[in-house]
Amino acid sequence: MKATAKEQMEQSESSHDEEDEGPTRAKRGKPEVVQNGLLRPVTLSRGDLYKPPTADELNQLKEAESLFHCSLLKMQMEELLKEVSLSERRKQLIDSFVQSVTEQLQTVPQTSDMELSDLSWLSGGVKVPFVLVPKAAKGKFHMAPPISVTIIGSYPLGTCTKPGISVDLAVAIPADVLHPKDALNQRYPRKRAIYLAGLAQHLAASPAIGAMRYSCLHGNRLRPILLLSPPGKDSSSFTLRLHACPPPGFFKPSRFHPQRNNIRTDWYTGLGSSQPATSEPPTPHYNSSVLGDMLPSAHLQFLTAVSSQCAAFAEGVALLKVWLRQRELDQGVGCFSGFLGSMLLAYLLSCHRVSNTMTAYQLLRNSLHFLAFNDLTENGITLAKGPDSTAPSLAEFHTAFQVVFVDPSGHLNMCADMTACTYKQVQHEASLSLQFWDDPTVDGFHALLMTPKPMIRTSDHVFQLCELVKLQCCCKKLNLLSELMDHSGNYVLTALPFILSLLQRGLGQRVRLLTHSLTPDPEWPVESDAPKHNTQPPLSFGLLLNPEQAASVLERGPPADSPKAEEFRQLWGSRSELRRFQDGDITEAVVWEGETTCQKRLVPRQLITHLLQLHADIPESCVRYIGGMLDDVIKVGREVCSTGEEESLKVVQSYDDLSRKLWTLEGLPLSITSVQGAHPALRYTQVFPPVPLKLDYSFFDREKLSRSLVPHEVKPCPVYITPIQVICHMEGSGKWPHDRVAIRHIKAAFHISLGELLTQHHHYTCQPSPTHLDVWKDGLVFRIQVAYHREPQVLRESVSPEGLLIVRDNAEAQALEMATMQRPLLTSTLHGLQQLHPCFGAVCRLAKRWLGAQLFSDDITEDTADLLVASLFLQPAPFTPPGSPQVGFLRFLHLLSSFDWRNNPLVVNLNSQLTAADYTEIKNDFIASRESLPVMFMATPNDKKVSIWTKQAPTVQMLQRVVMVAAESLKILEPQLMDTSQIQDVRVVMRPPLDPYDVLIHLSPKQVPLLSQAVDPPHATFSRGILAGRVANTGGALPVIDFNPVTHYLAELRDAFGDLALFFYDPYGGTVIAVLWKPKAFTPLPFKTSQMVARRVEVSGEEAHTVPNVEAILEDFRVMGQGLVKSVEPRTERWVV
Amino acid sequence: MAPSKTKHVNQACVIPGGFTVLSLQFSTDSVAQHKICVKEHRVRAEKTTQRPLDRTLFVLNIPPYCSEGVIKELFSQFGPVQSVELREKPGSFEHSGPKLAKYFTPAQKQGFRVGYIVFQKAISITAVKSHPHDVPLVVSTEQRPVWTGLQKWIHQYKQSFAQPDKLQEAVDTFMQDYDKRKEEEAERQKEQAEEQLEDEEGWVKVTRGKSGTKTRPHSEVSNQKALQKESRKRKRKELMNFYTWQHRNTQKEHIAELRKKFEEDKQRIALLRAQRKFRPY
Repeated sequence: MKATAKEQMEQSESSHDEEDEGPTRAKRGKPEVVQNGLLRPVTLSRGDLYKPPTADELNQLKEAESLFHCSLLKMQMEELLKEVSLSERRKQLIDSFVQSVTEQLQTVPQTSDMELSDLSWLSGGVKVPFVLVPKAAKGKFHMAPPISVTIIGSYPLGTCTKPGISVDLAVAIPADVLHPKDALNQRYPRKRAIYLAGLAQHLAASPAIGAMRYSCLHGNRLRPILLLSPPGKDSSSFTLRLHACPPPGFFKPSRFHPQRNNIRTDWYTGLGSSQPATSEPPTPHYNSSVLGDMLPSAHLQFLTAVSSQCAAFAEGVALLKVWLRQRELDQGVGCFSGFLGSMLLAYLLSCHRVSNTMTAYQLLRNSLHFLAFNDLTENGITLAKGPDSTAPSLAEFHTAFQVVFVDPSGHLNMCADMTACTYKQVQHEASLSLQFWDDPTVDGFHALLMTPKPMIRTSDHVFQLCELVKLQCCCKKLNLLSELMDHSGNYVLTALPFILSLLQRGLGQRVRLLTHSLTPDPEWPVESDAPKHNTQPPLSFGLLLNPEQAASVLERGPPADSPKAEEFRQLWGSRSELRRFQDGDITEAVVWEGETTCQKRLVPRQLITHLLQLHADIPESCVRYIGGMLDDVIKVGREVCSTGEEESLKVVQSYDDLSRKLWTLEGLPLSITSVQGAHPALRYTQVFPPVPLKLDYSFFDREKLSRSLVPHEVKPCPVYITPIQVICHMEGSGKWPHDRVAIRHIKAAFHISLGELLTQHHHYTCQPSPTHLDVWKDGLVFRIQVAYHREPQVLRESVSPEGLLIVRDNAEAQALEMATMQRPLLTSTLHGLQQLHPCFGAVCRLAKRWLGAQLFSDDITEDTADLLVASLFLQPAPFTPPGSPQVGFLRFLHLLSSFDWRNNPLVVNLNSQLTAADYTEIKNDFIASRESLPVMFMATPNDKKVSIWTKQAPTVQMLQRVVMVAAESLKILEPQLMDTSQIQDVRVVMRPPLDPYDVLIHLSPKQVPLLSQAVDPPHATFSRGILAGRVANTGGALPVIDFNPVTHYLAELRDAFGDLALFFYDPYGGTVIAVLWKPKAFTPLPFKTSQMVARRVEVSGEEAHTVPNVEAILEDFRVMGQGLVKSVEPRTERWVV
Repeated sequence: MAPSKTKHVNQACVIPGGFTVLSLQFSTDSVAQHKICVKEHRVRAEKTTQRPLDRTLFVLNIPPYCSEGVIKELFSQFGPVQSVELREKPGSFEHSGPKLAKYFTPAQKQGFRVGYIVFQKAISITAVKSHPHDVPLVVSTEQRPVWTGLQKWIHQYKQSFAQPDKLQEAVDTFMQDYDKRKEEEAERQKEQAEEQLEDEEGWVKVTRGKSGTKTRPHSEVSNQKALQKESRKRKRKELMNFYTWQHRNTQKEHIAELRKKFEEDKQRIALLRAQRKFRPY
């Protein structure tokens, strides 16, 4: 049955595939080995395997073994490079378009001289791509055809890659348009912009050109560029970028020394008070942007020379570009662009850190290695060999810029706009990547080159500065006039480095890395004015937290009398106060608010808003902090907001106490060998951990003999008390019988005597039963189960009629083994994981809350979900282990939606017990017997071949749905978190779509005991028999334990109609049960005594057929849930009775 | 009996296969009815006295809320009922092991069941089979309410309490019984062992081997273990990489290994390419 379903699925999938990718597949030819997209074990004949190798083959095999980890990586690299490189067709398209544009440009008409500020000659709605502030500008300008048009940049170098192909065209402005003194006071950049506008006006009339837009190079407003796309259907295949540049050698490079001034204060401010030129502040950024215009062709020549030496240069750059792109580092202001990548490789080649014969993969690895271990913010590097005497020294560059990488001419710092934080991010990514590449258990290729790392999924916390206009005040407050002048009025870029260093100082040890989004290049149509600086998307900052220190509420400063105290007070302002500590020191300190873990996690938020308000005049309303947005759905307490860490801790403490007491019990016939917890609450992953309760005895009925509380029929369902399973292993002994029924009786006897002893010594209320012993302690209920380690073995044994002892595995033994051995082991292992990663539990809770809300709780069980989350922490590549519940949850959704469950086992390396050899073994076993294994295969150190936790569920269909819903949720959630303009309601992903279901059973909220845990808790609450106040530790009547009418109802429904329908329910306070008929439920079956469940007979001639008796079934839904069911809503539009 | 397709008022509905269809509804105001099929129990192999062939009615499709008691009441209108047996699947009567206390009987699935109703008189069967199709049997009436839903679960919860002393008693009786059985078993084995001993004149009495002859049952696992141990021992004695041919073989194996890996990787790549997994965007 299962197998057939699977086959169907495969068929449907493959047919779907063909629809999608029909043409490409047909072109490439379907490989023979791969059938249905499933890996199969490779079988080679003996002859093939042992034939004498040729020298060529030997070399190839050896190379693959020694250079790469395996031949797989080599092939993967080749495939990737094929994917990103440009096709010949595309190249032809580009060449012909460039040709036609060049011809068009040569026909630009000459105009007469006019004032620079006079723009009346521009017609046709074309605007100048420049923010003309201040307005005044001297000088003359006229249009003239360019003296040369040349292709520069990555395209001629062969390092141009997909996607987002852009081809750069340098248009040299004739010398007579410019004046040698134009470098001063933005005259040259303005002329350049106006010249571009002139070109745009001329090209607008041409039919050979599609859409035209303005943009600026790496977000630098002084360097606008004109984007041209080809007309017709190729319009999106590539863009041509027109750069206007001065004729070669027009300006003297020494004019643009980083310490010289080229923008006069009096001109910029418009005030008359002229200062002597010597006291003017230097304008390094302005200088480098003008200088940058003069050098592209020289750079191209240099790189061409280098790449002709090294065969794999272009491929190496391409890989580096892919790597940068996945990390969102390759675009925007101050990015580590592909051009820098090529320059870096050139540098490495020139100083012989890499050799000319290396492969692309080795080039990539070595450049990452260089980046990881060299700090360009401290020790800049230069490509200049014997620069002329006018060139600035490295030290001079360092005083002007944060990151230094000097070009071959020796005058230009190519990293002028890069912030130190961005470089640190590059460094961090590089060292992380190396680490993963060296780890044989990680699929390095996939993690490093194929997985995108958007900021929201990478950083633990993210915050955004929303109203960027406010940064103007910030510049004023920080007194940044000269810097503002240098950045020609771009206050966002001016303030950014200062904000970053302020935050870095304030956050200190709390963060491992502070990153910020790179402002994307603005793009606007030629008919509109250049956008203002504040129209760009909000600035986002990412924090990679240091788990030990991030949540500390105390900021301990220097002693009051030390000289550093003043500095500390200055940083923290009024928040800093003198405090006396237990060790006797009196020091300056700042104390932040926060009682619970959930509040403490947001200490960085308090800190950041405080610092920004104090030093940069940025009000709290502008800071949008995205760190705990999802916490709401797992909040426990009403008064103090908490996400369950404290509650879990209380449970664990109470359990520890119980365990100690059990160990010390005397008077048992056999001694206890182990006490182990087997409940999610004991590994901190219970979605809503049990809270100690004080009961209102008058609310309940009493049982006659034991005086235990029982629910009252008329009143609302009493509060649900979770029994917390504890497994108590008894010592093995000859006294244990060797018979399954007898063992059960002995266990019952143990439950009784354990209960008696606990009551006698510790006065707990106990209730023994054949299967367990309930102990009412500290307002919690522990369910102790006695276990005997040989019992599963006994269950497996049977004696054949011939007297041979047969051992056969069976479901009963497996279930027992899981309950008494594997689950306690998992619990203690995950408990350990929680100690290492403080937010593990919270991520599990969020993940399980989501699974519950989307009605998947029965398919992805609690243990499975916990293991999935554990894998995120144990194998975080390409990320670092999640440091906040939010980022962990996002990665959980990503894992669910992107993992290839069909062809890969998910290995959860608990306690790092598995070696690389184990991984290979697991993979081989998996491929060898894929069909017979669970659809979702998870291997752990104790379970390499079976995947015990996912054996029962999910089925193929359900897994497919889970994957789909997870992808959908992620698609909604991530933009919502990052985009301020969207409606802010993260609960959207927790509300399941109910359209696909056939029948909805609405439950009466009064009888749903967990109602308050619902995603959208109702306003009406019911009294459920609990009182506020302190909880007694011992004694009291036994409460109503584990009584949830909905669970009973679901069990009955599944027992009765499990063959016909599936039942879905949110176990955390859902008030609706969704029913889905099985696809084949309604097909008539021939009459058979074994197939007559809830069916009616239809007679046609001599044959009798049966069909489900739907009316009666719907009636049964009502009857079986009397008192609980409010209404049954059949959605007959979806199916016909 | 000829199948009667026409459904007249007050007439039994009989379908091919010999089953009579009866209607059953939960209460008088229910809107829908379950169709239960009944037939006299007729199995050639039935040997037990629990289901006398002439007086037993075989019933299909009994809804989960009908317990033995309810069924007994329901069918009493056709004549006095002797016993009712409800099962998940039709099948022959089975004797379970030693009788267990109620605490230790495993919980049953609460789904639709089949039943064997034994009437005291054979005539009752005919009465049932001629019961009109459109007069439904009613499960829950005012005189005889049947609990479902919340009421039932609360009742179940109340019933689930085991009194420690009663439970202890049940355990004790079972264990005494168990010990006695064990002793008997041991006794029997001892006797059999004695039988095999030589008598004074040196004769051994050979009986037709039954299972009890061996004192300790052989197990599959121990057989396999012995074999494994043997092969491991042999392996330990072997010399590795000693002769030239052995060395050559290892090298050959290594290359074969690499080749195999290469093929596997090729396959993997082909698969990923087919899935377009190499596009980094």
